[in-house]
Amino acid sequence: MPGVQIDPNDEIIQLNHLRKSFWTTEGEQQVLQDVSLSIRRGETMVIIGGSGGGKSVILKHMIGLLQPDGGEVVVDGKVISTPDYFDGATIRRKMGMLFQMGALFDSMSVGENIAFALREHNPGIPEDSVDEIIARLLGLINLNPAFASKMPSELSGGMKKRVSLARTLAVEPEIVLYDEPTTGLDPITSDVINDLIIDTQHQFNVTSVVVTHDMVSAFKVADRIAMLYQGHIIFVGTPEDVRTTHNPYVQQFVRGQRKLEAVAV
Amino acid sequence: MATNRLPDPLLVLDSLGEITIRFVRKSFSGILDGLASVGGVLVMCGQIMALFPKALQRPDSVVKEAMRLGVASIPLVFVTSLFVGMVAAFSAKYQFRDMVPLKYLGTSVAKLVLLELGPVLTGLVMSGRIGSSIAAQIATMKEKEEVDAMSVLDLQPLRYLAAPRVLVGMAAMPVLTTISCFLAIVGAWGVCVIGLGVTSYTFLSGTRLFFSPYDVFVCEIKALVFGLLISLMGYYHGSQAAGGAKGVGEATMKSVVSSSVMILLFDFLIAFLLLRQSPT
Repeated sequence: MPGVQIDPNDEIIQLNHLRKSFWTTEGEQQVLQDVSLSIRRGETMVIIGGSGGGKSVILKHMIGLLQPDGGEVVVDGKVISTPDYFDGATIRRKMGMLFQMGALFDSMSVGENIAFALREHNPGIPEDSVDEIIARLLGLINLNPAFASKMPSELSGGMKKRVSLARTLAVEPEIVLYDEPTTGLDPITSDVINDLIIDTQHQFNVTSVVVTHDMVSAFKVADRIAMLYQGHIIFVGTPEDVRTTHNPYVQQFVRGQRKLEAVAV
Repeated sequence: MATNRLPDPLLVLDSLGEITIRFVRKSFSGILDGLASVGGVLVMCGQIMALFPKALQRPDSVVKEAMRLGVASIPLVFVTSLFVGMVAAFSAKYQFRDMVPLKYLGTSVAKLVLLELGPVLTGLVMSGRIGSSIAAQIATMKEKEEVDAMSVLDLQPLRYLAAPRVLVGMAAMPVLTTISCFLAIVGAWGVCVIGLGVTSYTFLSGTRLFFSPYDVFVCEIKALVFGLLISLMGYYHGSQAAGGAKGVGEATMKSVVSSSVMILLFDFLIAFLLLRQSPT
């Protein structure tokens, strides 16, 4: 990505042999069988894969919302995959996450949503500064400052995701995780979100991890793309590598073909 | 032609063994799950109580919950308590018949309302009003990933979601129960004066006859404990919800059922502890 210097040896997130199972009515389902992946500081890594394949599960491990059954998650040199790590740890202050449906707090206005963590982490911060930050972040996501007083129920799906991004950026994270940022949006709104992901990386110099099955979005925002298939990362490469690879599973996914045999290699 | 083959005895034994192992494993895992839930609730209760001072640092959210859970419950308490008092008066009069002087009608109603009907019925009604409301709200927030979003922002859900609600639950129940007891006695008084031929003086002097402040103490202790149980069960089951709308419905149902059962259980425990001996 032009303008962003990425050191291939400076890895900010490492997933080492991650395993995770869930118990369902049909028994144990091993979602992640052996996932190993390294994400470099400052890059945008896109993880692609089929629905229900465990992409969001990987994100939730990165930010400590889930603990692995095996393997480890290392963020900025610290192993965070222990049950008690997040008790008192500040690693989360370095990370932000944009949820699939925005996950805005329904009982708060847009402005309160954006400023919630800011106010709580900085007690005594002047209200003038908070208002200024809200206005700046709303401007960044191309929304009028008047939106600060609106409630989440008054916003469209795309607007909710943009406000969610503004809320994430309010705490100035070093890493932003995006869970299906363009799912359910029309192509034009999706492109607005894609541009925001790129602008965020450039302006704030953040490391981004994007989980998606939208290949248009993946090719636009990615520095590198990883593919998750049947609980394993089976491919990691640049968007150009993805286009030219002979890996039949990657080609099947990129072309959106139902049968593996139909892929010409 | 169908053959009627008997199963191999070893296969039958094998199947029986497997069924037995499954049954034992399921039973034990059920018991272990139950114990884990109780342990989880107790730990959560301690964590939430430790966060009360921090919850009070955001008085606006506490006041908001107090209005939503406490003040908004007053009309329901008003209606249920009046009727409970009226029924209590009729019931006492029926049981007294000509054997007990009517001057004890007020005594009977006041004791019954203060020690049992007021706190227990208010608790049961509020488990449906407050507990279900908390469970449904938290379960919906969990389903919409709002609880995860809070954790990701390094904001403890227990501090911002649980502590204000449990605090309000514990504070609101004694107030609501006091209102309930007063209204139940008013209801009983109205029925006695209008429908049962008991004078106002007879009824009111009866209520004062064996009145003990200790009864009020027991009543308020019960209300406080029931308030904790209702709000805690609401939050716990809401936070455990999974599976979309079905999960929200189940969380709400479990919250009401578990808090109702626990109210009756703790009603007995408190009575056993505080009412075994007459106050000196």
